[in-house]
Amino acid sequence: MFVPHSEIDLKKMFEELSISSLDDLFSHIPETLKLNDGLSLPESLSELEAIEHFTSIEQNNTQKLVCFAGGGHYDVYLPHTVKSLTMRPEFMTSYTPYQSEISQGILQILFEYQSLICDLTDMELANASLYDGATSVGEAISVAINKTKRDNIVMSSGFNPNTKEVVNTLIDTKKFNINYVELENYLFPEDYIFNDTDAAFVVSLPHYEGSAQDLTNLVANAKKAGVISICYVDPSMLGIIKTPGSMGFDIVIAEGQAMGSSLSFGGPTVGWFATRKELARLVPGRIIGESRDSNQNKTYVMTLRAREQDIRREKASSNICTNQTLNAVGSTIHLSWLGPQGIYEIGYQAIQKSSYMKLELQNAGFEILNPTSSLREFLLKTKKTSNEILSHMGQEGILAGISYDQNTLLVAVTEKRTKKEIDNFVQLIKEYDNV
Amino acid sequence: MFSGGNAKSLPLVGGLSEPTINQLSNPGRRASRFPKLDVPVTEINNPAIRNDKPLLPEVSEHDLVMHYSRLAHRNFAVDLGFYPLGSCTMKYNPRFADSMANLDTFANSHPSTPAEFTQGNLEILFELEQYLIEITGMDFATFQPPAGASGELTGLLIIKKYLEENNKTNKTNIIVPDSAHGTNPASAKMAGFEVVEVSTDDRGMVNIDDLKNLVDENTAGLMLTNPNTGGLFEEHISEISNIIHDVGGLVYYDGANLNAIVGVCRPGDMGFDIVHSNLHKTFATPHGGGGPGSGPVAVKGFLKEYLPGPIVIKEENGLNWYTPTSSIGRMHGYHGNFLVALRALVYMKLLGKEGLDKLGAFAVLNARYLSSVVSKVIPLAYNEPCMHEFVTTVKHLKKSHKIKASDVGKALLDKGFHSPTIYFPLIVEEALMFEPTETQSVDTLDDLAETLKVIINELQGDDISLEEYPKNLPVGRPNELIPAKHLTVNWGDFELLEITE
Repeated sequence: MFVPHSEIDLKKMFEELSISSLDDLFSHIPETLKLNDGLSLPESLSELEAIEHFTSIEQNNTQKLVCFAGGGHYDVYLPHTVKSLTMRPEFMTSYTPYQSEISQGILQILFEYQSLICDLTDMELANASLYDGATSVGEAISVAINKTKRDNIVMSSGFNPNTKEVVNTLIDTKKFNINYVELENYLFPEDYIFNDTDAAFVVSLPHYEGSAQDLTNLVANAKKAGVISICYVDPSMLGIIKTPGSMGFDIVIAEGQAMGSSLSFGGPTVGWFATRKELARLVPGRIIGESRDSNQNKTYVMTLRAREQDIRREKASSNICTNQTLNAVGSTIHLSWLGPQGIYEIGYQAIQKSSYMKLELQNAGFEILNPTSSLREFLLKTKKTSNEILSHMGQEGILAGISYDQNTLLVAVTEKRTKKEIDNFVQLIKEYDNV
Repeated sequence: MFSGGNAKSLPLVGGLSEPTINQLSNPGRRASRFPKLDVPVTEINNPAIRNDKPLLPEVSEHDLVMHYSRLAHRNFAVDLGFYPLGSCTMKYNPRFADSMANLDTFANSHPSTPAEFTQGNLEILFELEQYLIEITGMDFATFQPPAGASGELTGLLIIKKYLEENNKTNKTNIIVPDSAHGTNPASAKMAGFEVVEVSTDDRGMVNIDDLKNLVDENTAGLMLTNPNTGGLFEEHISEISNIIHDVGGLVYYDGANLNAIVGVCRPGDMGFDIVHSNLHKTFATPHGGGGPGSGPVAVKGFLKEYLPGPIVIKEENGLNWYTPTSSIGRMHGYHGNFLVALRALVYMKLLGKEGLDKLGAFAVLNARYLSSVVSKVIPLAYNEPCMHEFVTTVKHLKKSHKIKASDVGKALLDKGFHSPTIYFPLIVEEALMFEPTETQSVDTLDDLAETLKVIINELQGDDISLEEYPKNLPVGRPNELIPAKHLTVNWGDFELLEITE
């Protein structure tokens, strides 16, 4: 399959190599290691049979669930233009652009990606992507540790539990202390005191619970103590919330799924990473720079390569090699498609629809734990357990959110949700939970 | 003056530079449209709300499509030509796999959706696990690592945790060959190990005497590819595994070169305890210009409970998630690069037993053939039968004619081929490393060898300057110092530089 060799080709190749069979290629491999009967696997499928196989598996997923789940991954509308351009084979089937002369397409898009993220977050330098939002938090903390040579991390508890788990995996918790600061009324305590053993202040905007605050004063206090401030931002809210840069943050990271990638069951998506130029040499991953060739033509190249693992080996800023370029291409084209008006609108509509939903739920007798400080995502208190609610609502065709705790759901609203879908949600949950 | 409709940057029209999307921006234009808000408007009061307008380009949809399509024309790709990139396995990526990955609930499931509503997705991961453990000779697998380097780190953290739980905290050293990929030592360092390098012998294999000297009670493990980075099969692999196991260390298989042995032999039978696979190499998922990949890690049974969780298990009433009891913790926010894993399964189903049994053999056949014809032009670095890739060197041409590996690579670009991997492995001087993969025809291999011959002849002559290539591409060799020195990494940076200098 996909092997072009005809009998005539094989004859020619065998002659060149003075062999008589494929097995002769492996005469130097110890017999005891060889698979004599090959692999115990099913026979091959034709494309037609494979369609049958995979579509029938796909049907085992519940179809057409209306998505009210968020927690970092959002059901934002992904335009066809973005999907089809991103899937162009010239982008999709190319390798890492080490050979810049024949990779100007990918290089320029990644340069645009970096620039768009800098404009949108008010930063100076972005890399060409990390794996996802969760691993980006780990990478950002490593930068802060390397910069400050301190070993205490001040991290807001307002993160997706999975993200916290990734951080605990990536950061050696025997060497470094991660101090999770509890939110008060779903906001980071304004009077928190940083000290000079803190390497990083890590906070999410909005918090996992959906509440948002202006973090300017906290970041200023962190700065006074020499702490690197890291903002994990929801990129699809950047059209309507203040930029992390304007709040003074040193590093901005994001789960970039909502910008240019489908939900994809969580992957592949893309981790955004942007910072200030003074931290350039500590940045993980690839960075694209603008230069000129010998004829003064504009050309883009991978730059600051001395940070990377293939050159620095164990002294590299990170081990990342393969990244999420194609998803970064998606982000670039999606952001260009949205423009300033579009990115505002997805934020604005999400917040308006969320406000409407909160009000309707309250009118139906439900308690919202953070009704005023939340934007598009909020905590909904239920009588039945959140798992019971998720299961019941799922059977009714609605993914009602994420289980936050025993009796609380984290509910997210995107611009895609309609009044009808919201009304239906409220009606169904009222019938089920308000008995 | 820039306009979206100007196609002068296309090689077929003019070959000028393509402006950035920002240079094509004009106030008031837009591509995006949304349904009208269908709920009553309420006042938004939150101190985090901005008062100013976000900074993004304003372009029409047609301008946007023309711009990115023109950029696509400035990019080499597997779908356009031969990529003999050693160590990268740039084989054909079946288009069919993409169409399966686009099926609605595969592409659009929220990752937190409960297992009862995503049985199909879990089935994909479960079935792929069965294929992967059979091919590698292991027992269980996780799909969380989104790339090879993440798989390496996963494996090393498993070694660390396993040793800790068995009270072997004195074991702090990871042995890595001097020919290894940079990710090996970088991952070992990230996992908190000390890196110890073992040398390569004259034949291009792990130096066993050196290895014996380096191994002691502090040895935590060894990271190795087989075939190794020189494309050679480590014949003494069983002995090597034993040396590490004898001191209580674990042996890690870097799946970078798995393509050579699929259907031929298995890491699990060679004594490896942990294996990562690069689905974006061996199992034909597209590289996407640098990613996404997928680096699942498979382990022997005794390491199952250390895997990052959750993993998929079969229960009475269906598939479910299971978090191993001594898990090292998550390596990814959710389930890794699911749609990449899905594409790999599609590829495996299409190949089936027949195709997978012969996969390594055809990959090796192509490399062995190419090495035979190329060696008539440039000498091989090692006089051993190669597996799926081989290393050549132009160090003699550098001495006699100042021809560097990069000169040969750049000239190849000009003649319609991607360059082989150059200057890798680091232990071979002026190295050019070729990996043809099994999906190229013998005619293409002959063409590459013939082109190399023409290039070497040309470069040895007097009438061409070595720096001249490439000359038929949209841009020539870049000045690499400017961006590194001045950090021109953002639009406007370069123009600012021109003004200030």
